Parts: sequence; structure tokens; C-alpha cells
Amino acid sequence: MRVLVYGCGELASGAVRELAGDGRSQVTVLGDERNQLERLSNIEGVNAVLVAEPVMHDYFMQAGISQMDVFLALSTDDHENLLAAQIAETMFRIPKVVCHVENPQLQVLYASQGLNVLSYSVGILQDIRFAMESQ
Amino acid sequence: MYFVIVGCSEVGFYLSRALSASGHEVAVIEREPERYQVLTEHLGIIALLGDGSDVEVLRRAGVARADAVVALTGVDATNLVICQIVQYSFKTPRTVTIVKDPKNEPIFEELGVDVVVNWIHLALGALEAGVPGQPLRHLMALRQPGRELVCVSVPPGADIVGRRIDEVQLPPESFITLIVKRGQASLPTGQVLVEAEDELIAVTSAGDEQLLYDILTGV
Repeated sequence: MRVLVYGCGELASGAVRELAGDGRSQVTVLGDERNQLERLSNIEGVNAVLVAEPVMHDYFMQAGISQMDVFLALSTDDHENLLAAQIAETMFRIPKVVCHVENPQLQVLYASQGLNVLSYSVGILQDIRFAMESQ
Repeated sequence: MYFVIVGCSEVGFYLSRALSASGHEVAVIEREPERYQVLTEHLGIIALLGDGSDVEVLRRAGVARADAVVALTGVDATNLVICQIVQYSFKTPRTVTIVKDPKNEPIFEELGVDVVVNWIHLALGALEAGVPGQPLRHLMALRQPGRELVCVSVPPGADIVGRRIDEVQLPPESFITLIVKRGQASLPTGQVLVEAEDELIAVTSAGDEQLLYDILTGV
């Protein structure tokens, strides 16, 4: 499976390691932190592309977006993730697109429009409530 | 009409002033406290302090009864999200934004933003129209990524002058869609002969633009 990961923070890097580790995926990661990308590109099966300017579209082409089976928008910026995921889905018709946002409101709103949006903060808030109630 | 402008740096400021001056009702959402203070205390603009990509802030600004929302935060992705929140949550008639990256213009249109202003494109068009001797002009970006509509004037003495339009070998994904002779537009059917000063409207991709230009104007 060919996977394109957008972002190279904690969440994105974790996903890259996890996916490359199973040996069944070719992973390309797009990010703007040079050191982090270098570390990731040392992993077997991982190809890293440094995003140096805010022209997302060109980097997607460079990363070979149109051949991807999966696109994961996992950067630390909610708005960039939503834009990237919608470009992947609407303009490049990537079969499987997953987007992460921190803001639970945005998660609900975009999920209602049919975008595959996850938000770990939704789960964390539930866990916090559960932890408080079980005291 | 009632306009809500999100982000009031330079463009937002001049736009809100111009809209107020032409009799429209305008409210501004500004995130920076210092900027907000200047706007309300010194410039007399009706403003709300807050994050314009927050549904609650948009609600307080009266987006539900606005005729148009203009997203001018200066960040393309944020502007898109604001326009989409407004559409999904408030059904405001029109959303408007200005893009920085010209490639975002067709993308934002495809994603439902009603009016997408591409100022690099506007500036380029004005520049090309204002500077003589520019035989290739950019007319618009098409929705398909990287595709564009351009206009090429055939210079006297070009290699293609006197040839049939179907004899002209174009790059694989470039097409002449319209030929304008002495102000008269017609479809470029095969038999039409190319003459000097003809204007050819063509679809091409950014990567093939130079090649197309060389074919249509080369001597």
C-alpha cells in the first residue's frame, strides 16, 4: 500500500513508524522540520519530502500524490490538515483519506459533511470525564 | 447589505472602510487585541475580538443574517475553513476570500467557496495587459489542478502563420479552444488558416506553457 503522510510532528511521525514497521506499506512523509524528516527517512520503506514553502500543491505532486492509496493529514495545524485532506480527496481522488484535527468542533462539523475526520481530543475529553467520575 | 469580515489587517481594513462608505453595514472579527483596540477606538469600525474560525465567535458577529462573509486572515487554509464553517453552520448566501497561493483558486472554488479572488492572477493580468509586447496572457486557472486558460497573439512572421490550425502540433494536453480574428471569435475548426495578429485562446498546463508559447510564436 502506498501511503502519503502530511505532517511530521508526534502524531504523524508515530504513524509513519507504525506503518513502515509492518513492512507492507511504502510511506512518503511531507513535513517542514528538516531534522525530524531526516530521522524518518532513515527508516526502511520511508521516503521524506521537505516542504520549504507554503505551496502545498507543488509538494503533493512532488511526493507523487496521484499514485497513493492512502492520504493521512496529521500535521499539528487543523486548518492545514483540513485543506490538505480535501485536496487529496476532491482534486486527486485518493481512495482513502484520513484527517486529524485537535478541535472537536471542527471534527463534528467536517465529519457531518462526509470527510473522514478524527480528533483524539474527543477521546481524551471522554477519558477525563470518566477518570473524574470514577474517583 | 450586511458584511462580516474576518481578519482586519490591511486589506480587511480598506475593504471594510470602502463597504461602509458605500452604505453597507460591516462588522469585523479580529483576533489580535491591539489591532482590535485600534480598530474600535481610533477608526470607528464595529469589531469583535475573537478567533473567526470559531463557530461561536461567528455566531456573535451575526453571520446568520449576513449577506456575505469575507475571510481575510492572510492564511489560505484558515480562510478556507472559515468559509466552510460559515456554509455548513449558517447557510450564509455568499462566502468570499482572497488566496495567496494561485493554485488554491480552483481548489477553493471546487470546495464550495463562492468568490475566490486570486490577486497574483489579477496583478499578472494587469501587468500583461499594461506592458506591451507580451504575447502570452493568463486568462484563468481551471479547476483541474495545474490546468489554465491562456491567450496567445500570433506575431507577424511566426512559423505557424499561413498554416491550417489542424497542422499545428501542440503539446499532448494543450488545445486551442477559440480563435479570434480581427475581433471576431470562432471555433478553431481544422480548415481555418492562422494569420498574423490572430488571438488563440488555449487550454494548457503550467508545465507546457513555454512549449505552447514557442510553438505558436516561434519563427
